[in-house]
Amino acid sequence: MRGSLLIKALITFSLPTAVITSLFLGRYPIPPTQVLEALVAGLAPSLTHSPPDPIVRIVLYYRLPRVLAAAIIGTSLSVSGASLQSMLRNPLVSPYILGIMSGAAFGAALTIAFLPPTVPIELVAMASALAAFALVLMISWGWGRGSVVSLVLSGVIINALFSAALSLAQYLAPNPHKVAAIAFWLMGDVGQASEWGDVLRMVSVVAPCTALLVASRWRLNILSLGDEEAKALGANPVIERVFYAVICGLMTASVVSYAGIIGWVGLLVPHIVRLGVGSDSREVILYTTFLGGAYLVAADDLARCLTTEVLPIGVLTTLMGAPLLIYLLRRAGRVWR
Amino acid sequence: MEVIKSVRLNYTYGGGVEALKDVSIVVGEGKVVAILGPNGAGKTTLLKCLLNILKPKGAVYIYGRDISKLGGRELAKLLGYVPQTYGTVFAYRVLDFVVMGRAPHHSIFSLPSEGEYRRALEVLDMLGIKDLAWRTIAEVSGGQLQLVMIARALIQDAKVLLLDEPTAHLDISNRLRVMRVIKDLVRRGIVDSVVVAMHDPLIAGLFSDEVVLMSRGEVVAYGEPKEVLTPGNLRRVYGIEFVVINYFGKPLVVPKELIEE
Repeated sequence: MRGSLLIKALITFSLPTAVITSLFLGRYPIPPTQVLEALVAGLAPSLTHSPPDPIVRIVLYYRLPRVLAAAIIGTSLSVSGASLQSMLRNPLVSPYILGIMSGAAFGAALTIAFLPPTVPIELVAMASALAAFALVLMISWGWGRGSVVSLVLSGVIINALFSAALSLAQYLAPNPHKVAAIAFWLMGDVGQASEWGDVLRMVSVVAPCTALLVASRWRLNILSLGDEEAKALGANPVIERVFYAVICGLMTASVVSYAGIIGWVGLLVPHIVRLGVGSDSREVILYTTFLGGAYLVAADDLARCLTTEVLPIGVLTTLMGAPLLIYLLRRAGRVWR
Repeated sequence: MEVIKSVRLNYTYGGGVEALKDVSIVVGEGKVVAILGPNGAGKTTLLKCLLNILKPKGAVYIYGRDISKLGGRELAKLLGYVPQTYGTVFAYRVLDFVVMGRAPHHSIFSLPSEGEYRRALEVLDMLGIKDLAWRTIAEVSGGQLQLVMIARALIQDAKVLLLDEPTAHLDISNRLRVMRVIKDLVRRGIVDSVVVAMHDPLIAGLFSDEVVLMSRGEVVAYGEPKEVLTPGNLRRVYGIEFVVINYFGKPLVVPKELIEE
């Protein structure tokens, strides 16, 4: 029990620690005192004499929103991943199972390849992601009465369909630069979501959705027992599953359409948390909100600082995540069964 | 008092298989009722209809109230279900798993209280498996798992338990243990009645107060074990010969070919 308390404390503090530490990291070297001064200058200008203007701008308009964006994206993907794994009774599910990934990717590709540059990519990506997700729900509802298998299967079908459309958009793109731009978008980039406006728009969707899932976290256990047991315990599994799927879909679409495809977070973080605190969603969902944010903030730090170029974060999350998960599962052993 | 009453239940699965045909039974207070029959007789279907998991033609009343007019949570406070095996893929801790039985008493946004965890421990203690509380459900044996799921149904505060072949995968001593626990719950008034689907006519004959003998979706015979478990009825249902020995008023049912060379 004591070990688990320590793990819970570590996970809880990982998010604030990661956020604060990251403000001091960046390619442009700023002394820590000036970072603090810039923050104070932004929050309460009367308290301090402002450090030089470019430094304030880097801290307040570049680093802070970018770190917050990473935290929001990481939390969103991880919490929706953990919730979906629970309610679809499948530990292999990620938030992209509902067609959102390829929906957003197709929307972005379409915009980059064919629409005038004035059209915001995230808007079309969001519309396309939600359209794909709506199709998944409709197919699942119409043919399978919202059952777990019908939901997962229609997700697979719609993902395939939109992936094909994405390939077609890339193939038909008028010039190689656009093909390259699409490829870069697909690799994910927190930088695309780092204007204050983006951060606020993302948080306005992600915060209420996360709050709702955290509030429902014990209920997700009941849904994970399977429809018949859930019914015998007084739940309405189909209605509740579709409701939570919509929540997960909205919060995933809202971050993916800004930041592109950032893989593995939604699959990996819930597993790490489960290995630390056990399987009860009551704990898993709660601690996933912290670790998900921290994980992506750390990954984005690497993306920003590892080399002189900004590395694609979608690649980093996978490069970091796959070996980590193999290591953890090897240590846990019995989880493989 | 009539605890459960079913009136002419008919249920047909999607493929056109008639799983229940005009099944009418009454479960009285203080009774352990065994639903007995071969594979495919409709035992599980009947249980699911009584639980409103499947919606049959006909009517089911619990304490005189039509279950189709009861809300899911209301019904779950009256009926506890113990499936054959659990449906989750997650290795929940036994204690957490048992506490999930409190779901009918919670809204979708509430969490179980400390008191409810304490009660779960008490119920596990009562069933003699308190030491399993901190293991995961993947780490307990089949017999223990049945007791864990009975604990989950008990903490539901249900008045009636419906169990689906609780002894199917258990060795003989665990079978007896589970059946003893079930009888004990009724005798001590912890639940009003128990309905248990089972395969084994010997155990059904010795442990239950009433037997519903089913075959191909129909009730073949229904009543006290010694009246229902006759060689003739059993031959009709199972297609083999049985010897039934009267053991102090209880029927000892043995397949004939096992004791005759």
